[in-house]
Amino acid sequence: MITAIGDTVAANFVSLRQQQSGLGFTRYIDTIYKEVLPVAEVKHSTEELSTMAGVPSSPEYTRTTLLGLLAMQEALQQAGIKDLQQEPTGFINASTVGGMCDTEKVYFDITDPEKEGDFLKYIDTLDCADCTQRIADTVGLTEYITTVSTACSSSANALMYGARLIKQGVLRRVICGGTEALTRFTLNGFNSLKNVDKRPCRPFDQQRNGLNLGEGAAYLVLESESLVRENNSVILAELSGYCNSNEAFHPTAPSPEGDGAYEAMKNALAMSGRSMADVQYVNVHGTATLNNDVSEGKALERLFGTQVPPFSSTKPFTGHTLAAAGAIEAIYAVLAIQHQVIFPNLNYSEKMEELSIAPETRLLEQVPVNTVISNSFGFGGNNASLVISKYEG
Amino acid sequence: MKGKCYIQGLAAITPQHTFEENLFSQPLVSTNTNVFAVTEPDYKTFIPANSLRRISRLLKMGLTAALKCMQDSSLGVPEAIVTGTGKGSLQDTERFLKDIRQYEERALNPTPFIQSTYNAVNGMIAVQQQVTTYNNTFVHRGFSFESALLDSMLLLEEGISHTLTGAFDEISAEHFYIKSRIGHWKKEMVNSAELYNHLSPGTISGEGAVFFTLTAAPTPKSYARIAGLKMLYKPSPAALTTGLASFLGRHGLAAKDIDLVITGRNGDNNFEHYYRQLDLALPQVSQLPFKHLCGEYETAGAFALWLGAQILKAQQVPQQWFPMASQIPATLNRILIYNHFFGEQHTFILLERIAAPVV
Repeated sequence: MITAIGDTVAANFVSLRQQQSGLGFTRYIDTIYKEVLPVAEVKHSTEELSTMAGVPSSPEYTRTTLLGLLAMQEALQQAGIKDLQQEPTGFINASTVGGMCDTEKVYFDITDPEKEGDFLKYIDTLDCADCTQRIADTVGLTEYITTVSTACSSSANALMYGARLIKQGVLRRVICGGTEALTRFTLNGFNSLKNVDKRPCRPFDQQRNGLNLGEGAAYLVLESESLVRENNSVILAELSGYCNSNEAFHPTAPSPEGDGAYEAMKNALAMSGRSMADVQYVNVHGTATLNNDVSEGKALERLFGTQVPPFSSTKPFTGHTLAAAGAIEAIYAVLAIQHQVIFPNLNYSEKMEELSIAPETRLLEQVPVNTVISNSFGFGGNNASLVISKYEG
Repeated sequence: MKGKCYIQGLAAITPQHTFEENLFSQPLVSTNTNVFAVTEPDYKTFIPANSLRRISRLLKMGLTAALKCMQDSSLGVPEAIVTGTGKGSLQDTERFLKDIRQYEERALNPTPFIQSTYNAVNGMIAVQQQVTTYNNTFVHRGFSFESALLDSMLLLEEGISHTLTGAFDEISAEHFYIKSRIGHWKKEMVNSAELYNHLSPGTISGEGAVFFTLTAAPTPKSYARIAGLKMLYKPSPAALTTGLASFLGRHGLAAKDIDLVITGRNGDNNFEHYYRQLDLALPQVSQLPFKHLCGEYETAGAFALWLGAQILKAQQVPQQWFPMASQIPATLNRILIYNHFFGEQHTFILLERIAAPVV
């Protein structure tokens, strides 16, 4: 994985433990909000990213692709996969705006018949499939590939779809996740919705005033138990439950009682076979928008009653990375289980009046964490919850 | 890739008069402009006037096709909405890009941003029909619709009652121009009805919104059975041939068991060789190309599935659309659909007549 707080999973874990946020002002987006709206930007130029990924610096490799490629390379290495041809391997990627990060800079040249040049190579990168295919082609993924786009829940849905392909025996190994680069397009989109805070975001705080956007990419290698046994692979965690449910309420706002979040968490937990009491940590969607945190908080209270487990939003570290968020936070859930830690919800000071619960603000270490719920909710009422558990054979 | 499922309802907004009743009496619509736009239905019947004003063209097309499909199946609210789109709402994306430039990032109207989100149509159907269950959108060029189809087949296998599965894409003048710069379209204007007689670089562009209601078990109303689906990513010529053979083999079929092939042929000589390979693999089987009816776009595969389902149910080919067709078997039990998108995403769909005898 790669995010504003680290180029690798290990580096992310270090920043999380040191409570080091990735928020700051952009160095790479051309926007009037450059010094107004904080973002969580990966601290490398696009040229540097291409060097890191070992590919030529050229229009074919957009920032979206490069972030994804770096995360993919790490995922393959960490899973010990040297030859992708040994086992048919699917790739389910997620993206919200594809190569927009680069195409928005040349779009009006592309549409101008008077202009010619290398920028025409960006035309292929206008859609969401381009990054998926570049990543697949670079590392040699030749089996089934596809791309999911359900706004901010995209990569959670990619993970779910991959898990279901494995469960039904279509494939034994699927690599799932998402990639997202900051763009002027999305920054202005969320800003036009008055959803972006000028300060570092404050999830679940009474004074919260919106989200900060972020960028990054993350992939998880999902394998069937039979394949794991054959290869003696190391199991980091089990994706034990998942649910996608829809609010059917509003194009961009969640229902005030959190119906969709409640259904998604409840059903995912039921599938996992774990009880409420088994859930030791919830990595909430927690964007710090006015609506999300009320809705998600209500859903937590409805589901867990007075026994709401420790929960925190890691968005103050990474910003809201949209299509990548589900996969980034799924890895954080795995890290929480591996290292028996709960990550702090930064920037919190005042309890929300609508809720009786408050997020965990301390870094908790050496606490039992065997079952984690990870939430991702998006536009179009799209709600996805994942249950990630310690693998117990 | 997965088990079988049944088409219980369908609806299509395409350049042809597919939204009307009785497609067998509809004339062939053609174009001379290399841009095949849909024949738009009267949206007012499906969408209240106050909503109609607010939503953009692709959302109207998608929502209306979805609602009509639900009417056609009369199975009520689906338990899942799964869609594919290559480009989402192009007009909204274009508009938001222009607004950002024109208004210098200030006081922007969020509506185009919201509607440019690829799952906007799904969200709208869910709100309108109060579908609170599974909802997903795939955005992978020539695999967009077929991935939605695979996801739907998984869902039916998992036990849900029925899915609303569809695809939608639009073309705009601006996007037509953009893709002309990388050679997607023919330089010379051709009449769409003559598409296959003009083998040259590029094809003609199209658009459409097509929805299906899918179930795990047949009913007397079923149009057809989807018996198989396979996606091949950038296959080599050899991999395509073996891919087809193993696809048929997995279903216990040989070339002689296929009564008709619907092919994605589009007059583009850059990629014609893939279709020639199919000709060689299935030399005796009658073929119907369909891109002269809808043009080329990412989710044109949904049009082919719609066409195949109609043909199997009616046991006849709409003659007015296929003057070139010859030797169509009197009984049609199995149709193979083969399509690819600019040589990258190749798809096979096996479609069976409900009463087809077991091979």
